[in-house]
Amino acid sequence: MSRGTKGSVWPEPDEPTVREGRHRRRNGMTLQPIATGIRAAAVAGLLAAISMPAAAGPDFAAEVRPILQKCLPCHGPDAHSRMANLRLDSREAATGAEGGYAGIVPGDSAASRVMARVTADSSPMPPTGERLSEREIETLAAWIDAGAAYESHWAFNPPVAPGPPEVSDPGWIRNPIDGFVLSRLDSEGLRPSREADRDTMVRRLALDLTGLPPTPEEADAFAADTSPEAYANLVDRLLNSSAYGERWARVWLDLARYADSMGYEKDSLRTIWPYRDWVVRALNDNMPFDEFTIRQLAGDLLPDPSTDDLIATGFHRNTMTNTEGGTDDEEFRDAAVKDRVATTGQTWMGLTWGCAQCHSHKYDPVSHAEFYSLYAFFNQTADSDRNDDSPTLEVSGDVSTPVLSELSGTERRETFVHKSGNFMNRGERVEPGVPAAFHPLPPEAPRNRLGLARWLVAEENPLTARVAVNRIWARLFGAGIVATEEDFGTQGTQPTHPELLDWLATEFMRSGWDVKGLIRTVVASATYRQTSDATAAALAADPENTLLARGPRFRLPAETVRDQALAASGLLSRKIGGPPVMPWQPAGIWQVVYSNRQWETSPGPDRHRRALYTLWRRTSPYPAMTTFDAPSGETCTVRRIRTNTPLQALVTLNDPTLMEAAQHLAGRAMAEAGPEDEAILDRLFRLVLTRPPSAAERERLLALREETARDLEADPASAAKLASYDQVLYTSLRRRTLLADTRTEAPVWRYTSEEPGADWTLSGFDDSEWSVGRGAFGISRAAPESKDPYEASIRTAWDTTDLWMRITFDIHEPGLDGLRFEVRHSGGFEAYVNGIPAAGDLDGSGVHSPYAMSRAAAASLRRAGNVLAVRAIHTGLTDARRNIDLGLTALSPPEFRLTGSAAAAKASWAVVANVVLNLDEALTKS
Amino acid sequence: MSTALEFAKQQTRRHFLRGCQLGLASMFLGSLDTARAAGTDALSPKRPHHVPRAKSVIYLHMAGGPSQLELFDPKPELQKHTGADCPQHLLEGKRFAFIKGVPQLLGTPYRFHRAGQSGAWVSELLPRFAEVVDDAAIIRSMTTQEFNHAPAQLLLHTGNQRLGSASIGAWATYGLGTENRNLPGFVVLVSGNKTPSAGKSLWGSGFLPSVHQGVQCRTQGDPVLYLSNPDGMSRSLRRRTLDALGDLNRLEQERSGARDTLARIEQYELAYRMQASVPEVMDISREPDSVHSLYGTEPGKLSFANNCLLARRLVENGVRFVQLYDWGWDHHGTARRTDIRYDLPDRTRATDRPIAALIADLKQRGLLDETLVVWGGEFGRTPMRENRQGDKTEYYGRDHHPFAFTMWLAGGGIKGGVSHGSTDDIGYYVDSDPVTPRDLQATLLHLLGLDPYEFHYLHKGLRQRLIGPTNEGRVVKELLA
Repeated sequence: MSRGTKGSVWPEPDEPTVREGRHRRRNGMTLQPIATGIRAAAVAGLLAAISMPAAAGPDFAAEVRPILQKCLPCHGPDAHSRMANLRLDSREAATGAEGGYAGIVPGDSAASRVMARVTADSSPMPPTGERLSEREIETLAAWIDAGAAYESHWAFNPPVAPGPPEVSDPGWIRNPIDGFVLSRLDSEGLRPSREADRDTMVRRLALDLTGLPPTPEEADAFAADTSPEAYANLVDRLLNSSAYGERWARVWLDLARYADSMGYEKDSLRTIWPYRDWVVRALNDNMPFDEFTIRQLAGDLLPDPSTDDLIATGFHRNTMTNTEGGTDDEEFRDAAVKDRVATTGQTWMGLTWGCAQCHSHKYDPVSHAEFYSLYAFFNQTADSDRNDDSPTLEVSGDVSTPVLSELSGTERRETFVHKSGNFMNRGERVEPGVPAAFHPLPPEAPRNRLGLARWLVAEENPLTARVAVNRIWARLFGAGIVATEEDFGTQGTQPTHPELLDWLATEFMRSGWDVKGLIRTVVASATYRQTSDATAAALAADPENTLLARGPRFRLPAETVRDQALAASGLLSRKIGGPPVMPWQPAGIWQVVYSNRQWETSPGPDRHRRALYTLWRRTSPYPAMTTFDAPSGETCTVRRIRTNTPLQALVTLNDPTLMEAAQHLAGRAMAEAGPEDEAILDRLFRLVLTRPPSAAERERLLALREETARDLEADPASAAKLASYDQVLYTSLRRRTLLADTRTEAPVWRYTSEEPGADWTLSGFDDSEWSVGRGAFGISRAAPESKDPYEASIRTAWDTTDLWMRITFDIHEPGLDGLRFEVRHSGGFEAYVNGIPAAGDLDGSGVHSPYAMSRAAAASLRRAGNVLAVRAIHTGLTDARRNIDLGLTALSPPEFRLTGSAAAAKASWAVVANVVLNLDEALTKS
Repeated sequence: MSTALEFAKQQTRRHFLRGCQLGLASMFLGSLDTARAAGTDALSPKRPHHVPRAKSVIYLHMAGGPSQLELFDPKPELQKHTGADCPQHLLEGKRFAFIKGVPQLLGTPYRFHRAGQSGAWVSELLPRFAEVVDDAAIIRSMTTQEFNHAPAQLLLHTGNQRLGSASIGAWATYGLGTENRNLPGFVVLVSGNKTPSAGKSLWGSGFLPSVHQGVQCRTQGDPVLYLSNPDGMSRSLRRRTLDALGDLNRLEQERSGARDTLARIEQYELAYRMQASVPEVMDISREPDSVHSLYGTEPGKLSFANNCLLARRLVENGVRFVQLYDWGWDHHGTARRTDIRYDLPDRTRATDRPIAALIADLKQRGLLDETLVVWGGEFGRTPMRENRQGDKTEYYGRDHHPFAFTMWLAGGGIKGGVSHGSTDDIGYYVDSDPVTPRDLQATLLHLLGLDPYEFHYLHKGLRQRLIGPTNEGRVVKELLA
């Protein structure tokens, strides 16, 4: 079937190379073909024989390649989609020396067919998009006339340490970074900015290195330290704090597409946090980046791997697992392996290898077959889209985490090219190998993941070090030296400072891949230490700050928005590692099919852990963080695109967690600063922004506080809530058990399986003839010591279709609210309180789920002697999951600790804190 | 073949029709880049590639896979052979989600009637839809490759059966922006108690900037997450805090010169306006009784009917793309609640009237011409009884069926009264005019004024497109007015 080739951008698969043209004519005219194969071949042959000196002409990388790039979708390395047998991606091919059509005659633009085609009045090339500009056409002609010299793409040549450039002001230079930056500024006629003040620097450093704001005391100490080592000491202290590993782990986990769930439809939870904790540890230990690489890609293949080496292989077990019924495990195993190839290319080499899974890459040197040679490295692991994520490694008693495990001997798989990327459509067989355009695998290197990992971090690898330093640079400066961090190929952007990139890359390797050392060097530079304040002229000269004439300024990442507010308020738990936690989130986020697991706010300090530890479920990620551009974890994310939306304002203004932080921040400032309003405000301001407020800022915020306090004096209910916001937020803190279910104890019920009289729900009904038994009721076929809480909870047998149950309960506390049954059942049930219908369902979920008590039933409650009557109906076809367990809980009224003027005062400060946490400066690293 | 001849062929063959559109396309794409570079609003209205036929879209997705055989595609032959073994040749090499062994053919328990001027076949389960059938183009020849919910939903809504691509609504706001900045441009409404299988990825922005992700509006709790002020903070107090915030941010902006600060001050003001406009548009209680009786809506209830009325209110207020998901159409027949005799009528009772009301209401307000309404599931259901539990079950249902199913479109740019495509005698395969998810996507983009082949986003070195990397997606011209 061949249809819809209209305006084809990509080829249809499996069509012969020679096809009908898809080039569009802009009018009905037909161009006469000019070139003849004979002449072109003769010329090309002649030229190929003489070596071409690099003649003066346009800069190939900067000027010519971007033009040729427009031709490559149809005239590039992908033979499948090549049109007119013309290739323009190398000199040999373009001149016909490789047997194809000779589009370029070096030295003679007039004779070059390419020129005729781009200048044609009708159907000029390229066929889609705008036609080439006059200037582009002139450039192309000048380049051909100068000999049509190609240069290989810069990123495919290994970096060479450049010498220091000449600069106008050697006194400004703190380390070699500054030389490269200043030399570029000199050439543009720009001057660097002054150094930022100390408060700004300590906040910038703390946020960059640890993801947390400095305390005012740290800032004071730094401001007071006049020694020449003050700055370096501060940097070392921050790099040595455990928060450093947590902050930079998050950067790495975006690449690792880390999540606490398996993805796809069921998106069940998985235990892979040991891998996350390994990343934190490895970074805090400053594991060299080459080791860090080898352990994650091939820790299991090292001799005598340690437990940590195995956990590290979790990097590639973050691929998704499909546990939906009826799925083909091989299909999803294949998807995982492809994802590993693509992610490896993205993470280490900044290349889009994934493009080559269906066809040869359009721009970069990785062919369709080479993709599958890379695939072959990853195709020998034992994992196979199994529901239990096996193989797993037992880390401790009840914690097992997915790891890579190499197949051996007869279990090993053959690898074939997948035609059009379809795993069922096998092409030629391939062996593990690396793309030919790059340095070869050493002959003695094992042809497995270990060999590949070492190849990635080999000194000859042109990309790994550049990609790594560029990533760190981008996190510190807001944009990479190569802006397209995810694409160092020919489609990516040119480096703004190529020599700086190469200096950093070579220095990084020379240092033994010392990550902390690299960061230390970057932040020590005068470039990093500039103020980010900008004059209108500076903004006009370089709006995006690509030339680095000022310091970095950009919105904080999602995690830091939360962590900073919690840290400033004193709420932040500094516990490191362990299972993910569930901080507060709005109700109803987790309504996903097949999942009855509820999001229940973690108890105690766990609800105030760093964002890194928030349970991350791919199909319903934590909403406040996705609003701030945190990725879902579905695929490798190299660079978060920062957006700016009103939904972000709603989060920082209204997210109850941030309001709770505001309330605590207010309380902290009041406790630490004494009774004076100015002192409280200064303290509050410094806790968030490090710097003290200006006079104008102070005046404005104090006015806000006074007006607010005055209004809240007249509105004590609002004042009480704002002053004790945690009481509003954590209903879980107020939930009381009125009648236990078997999760806490097994209460005694009256029950019968004989249908009772119609009045069985009423208080006065005589149930003394009924049996007596403890919940839960059901059929258990498991041994009593079964670990399954569901099986283990069954105390009383129930094997009929219907079961009638009654129990009496008292209420000791007045003013209860939010009454709800906590019911676990798989079939139907109906519940009555004092004879009044209270709750029911035809079809239960099989896990404890809340059912609100009806208003009428709640109104019937009295202090003592309430009767709960329940009819359970088994609806399943088999005995499986025949069970019911039921309890009753309620909310006690919030205990507002503050009332009257005290509440109004505290609440007014909480409102001020809410404003300060929303200041643009607070949400920005500047 | 000589290269010269090849060149000659290229000059003389087709593809010359769209030349004039290309200029627009490149202008358009250029303008997007410029907008981004200047830090201007990514959601401000943008010029389409060509004159759009639809300004906005209401997409009604019946998650789970509604049965075409009970609703739109009557098969007398299937009726006749109910109980017969499914022919072996239809099963060979096939994978089903649950069917094992040789299943039996199953006719429908429902009657079909010809409806409207067009005489389209409609099931007795859809009496109200039958009244508006002449406004719809029914596609009985939908076909997909995916037989599991999540991948099939993702393929339909993001163009990729795997997670991580951008959804149609995100593409729409990326390409066209939105008309009312006091409301989100892409709104998602979910009913049936559960989010669909593929979860929030179905309205994710994928590789597009996250500003384009769908915003789920809820009918209970905050209509948009975090919309309400903290407990105890009144709207007037919020206004006062925003005034102070604005003053301080302006001071900071004067000091630092940062341009982002100005944009962010504006986002806070937008947020404040959304706090008023979203609850207002979400509050259906102010609609007159006549509207409530038309839709069958009850303010405050969580229902598909309420969502239909909300959808009308949202497009009326300039929302670009409204996506409804209704969970509960996965009628396997493993229990009463998945039985095509018991539960399916409940589902159609809950949806038939509001859908017909939506079309009539849009029409009466003059909005139908510019609003595209789409109805369908991620796949259809087998002509065979699933019978997963063998003889033990008394319930009737069907397994997932990717090969043939029905969807319909109405409104903006759609020719009403059209019946497009057909299936074989038992409804197993499409036997004429197949329409794939890619075709549907191409058609939707086309109606919105976007060229499905040109419309792309550069990501990881690829021109990412809704219709995927190949050009097999085709605008289904037969449906267009």
